[in-house]
Amino acid sequence: MKILICVKQVIDSQAPVTIDESGKWVKYGDSSPFRMNRYDEFAIEEALRIKETLNDVSVDAISVGPPRVSSTVRKAMEMGAEKGIHILTEGDFFITPFEVASTIASYVQTNNYALILTGAMSEDDMNSQVGQVIAEILNRPCATLVMHQEIREDKKEVYVEREIEGGKRECLNLQLPAVLTIQSGINIPRYPSLSNVLRARKAQILTIEATAMNIPAKREHLVALSYPEVSSRGTFIEGSQREKAKELVSILHEKSLI
Amino acid sequence: MKKQIAIIAEHHKESVVSATFEAVSFALELSNLTEAKPVIIVLGKSIKEMAENLSKKTGLDVVGIEGGPLEFYNAEQYKFTLKYYLESIDPEYICMTHTAMGLDLAPGLATRLDASCITAVEGIKSQDGKISFLRSMFGGKLRAEIMPKLKKSVITILPGAWKAQELDPMENGHVDIKAAPSSISTSRTITVKEAEEETLNLDDAEVIVAAGRGIGNEENLHLVKDLAKIFNKSAIGASKAVCDLGWLGYKHQIGMTGRTVSPRLYIACGISGSSQHISGMKDSQIVVSINIDPNAAIFNVSHYCIVEDLATFIPVLLEEFRNFVGTT
Ligand SMILES: Cc1cc2nc3c(=O)[nH]c(=O)nc-3n(C[C@H](O)[C@H](O)[C@H](O)COP(=O)(O)OP(=O)(O)OC[C@H]3O[C@@H](n4cnc5c(N)ncnc54)[C@H](O)[C@@H]3O)c2cc1C
Ligand SMILES: Nc1ncnc2c1ncn2[C@@H]1O[C@H](COP(=O)(O)O)[C@@H](O)[C@H]1O
Repeated sequence: MKILICVKQVIDSQAPVTIDESGKWVKYGDSSPFRMNRYDEFAIEEALRIKETLNDVSVDAISVGPPRVSSTVRKAMEMGAEKGIHILTEGDFFITPFEVASTIASYVQTNNYALILTGAMSEDDMNSQVGQVIAEILNRPCATLVMHQEIREDKKEVYVEREIEGGKRECLNLQLPAVLTIQSGINIPRYPSLSNVLRARKAQILTIEATAMNIPAKREHLVALSYPEVSSRGTFIEGSQREKAKELVSILHEKSLI
Repeated sequence: MKKQIAIIAEHHKESVVSATFEAVSFALELSNLTEAKPVIIVLGKSIKEMAENLSKKTGLDVVGIEGGPLEFYNAEQYKFTLKYYLESIDPEYICMTHTAMGLDLAPGLATRLDASCITAVEGIKSQDGKISFLRSMFGGKLRAEIMPKLKKSVITILPGAWKAQELDPMENGHVDIKAAPSSISTSRTITVKEAEEETLNLDDAEVIVAAGRGIGNEENLHLVKDLAKIFNKSAIGASKAVCDLGWLGYKHQIGMTGRTVSPRLYIACGISGSSQHISGMKDSQIVVSINIDPNAAIFNVSHYCIVEDLATFIPVLLEEFRNFVGTT
């Protein structure tokens, strides 16, 4: 049974983001702190756990993006993915979730995967779309926000629990092949072992030019980016730590909270 | 035929979830801009009463589609049923809330209907007769304007972005109940498990001090706990990140998939302010946020903003509280 994990490279959520001259994307530089999308780390860990519990499981990782994302593919291999696939795109722009999903689905069509795992959401674009669209293009069932999964012994079906509002869980059975989008908290992702790191360092990443893949046209268009309105922000308390603390105490007293 | 906006209603245990009425508000705003007519669609096993209530409350036409396999929400069943029905009304927009159901359903439905798909929408923009949608990116640090390129769009609406309105319609909408077409599905929802028994009294707390990943490590939790002790009726909340790390149990989680709270005072410590967190605490009367990043999105929903490292700031704050108590 082959599992494919979709991994995305994102800028660290604590880094400042500024809009570029075109007004349509963000400015990235050589020192931008890129890392793997956190939800995808959970997806990799879940795939590795499946591999450890069932016989005959192999795990590959795929990422779509500009040259910089190859380091994230390698990170997935350091964690334990056997094969790394990089679908290389031109330029460092916003790619719509439909384009990403079409690209990955097109790769899957020529490679047989019983299970595709994605993260629940990319931390930068925040679409929560790619997994569901891959599933639809490939005509496979999909469950999102998965917090628990059990593949039946015959590998024909997977039982999942998805996280819904108010701490409730929706329980369902999906026929394989299927797509799951993994919610954070399903597991605790491992640190790469030294032997895996050494193996991954030497391993080849399979790089495929996206332009060679015949991807359908985008269905949405990013018109512009902007910063949120400042008017929606509250009062910034200024001064030294001590002054800020004093002021906050007096505000809370005024509001009779203390 | 007049263009339509289909609103997919969401319900749990035979009652419509309140966010559906926010989607109605969104659809009414969109209808003013496009002249398309909103219609509500509700799918389920036995939905007559819900459909009638919806038509009474909103004055909009309601289509109910009934069938045993629709007892629980299930993406495959919903996509199959909706594709079958939506073909006949050919709506320009199909909208639903950006909840665990909406985000599960919308992208696949859009692909099946050859429609554009825009998720977690917070605003509508209309310019020169063209409609585009506003949504957050980068944890709320940026806003993107996205325009559909196809004739049909599936939109999910961020909970809290529109207010549910009291519409008081003059007359009820028309209700039409149909039988669901039969289908074979590769996915079957078995049940919905309830949340674990609640032992934490977040609802009664006047003050909630909430910890985010920014507390840095589990040991720093005591800072948050000490801060909470200053107040009389207080409780500890958390972002999902903190619960995922195992620093606090899931019963502390505030937000979309956690608890919704509205205390008099909410103090967010090291929380970035993702939309999923905000949706659970935005109705708090006063929000104070402590965050090292001056651009953190949590400041957009805060009344008092403190840009500091909480590890050094909270101890100073605790001292000042004690000084204050000592002098009164
Ligand atoms: C479908 C879905 C449902 C979700 N439901 C929920 C939910 O119910 N509740 C929820 O909370 N999340 C939920 N999430 C997750 C959500 O998207 C965020 O990932 C999460 O809220 C982030 O938690 P955080 O703010 O603690 O961490 P981060 O986003 O990592 O933010 C940490 C913050 O701490 C600040 N910081 C760092 N160091 C310091 C310091 N020393 N002093 C002060 N500040 C510091 C940083 O500047 C940053 O702003 C959901 C996600 C999905 C996809
Ligand atoms: N460029 C990409 N390359 C590979 N996987 C991706 C990419 N973009 C998104 N994904 C996957 O899809 C998930 C959801 O992303 P999104 O739909 O953008 O929120 C992510 O967690 C990844 O697993």
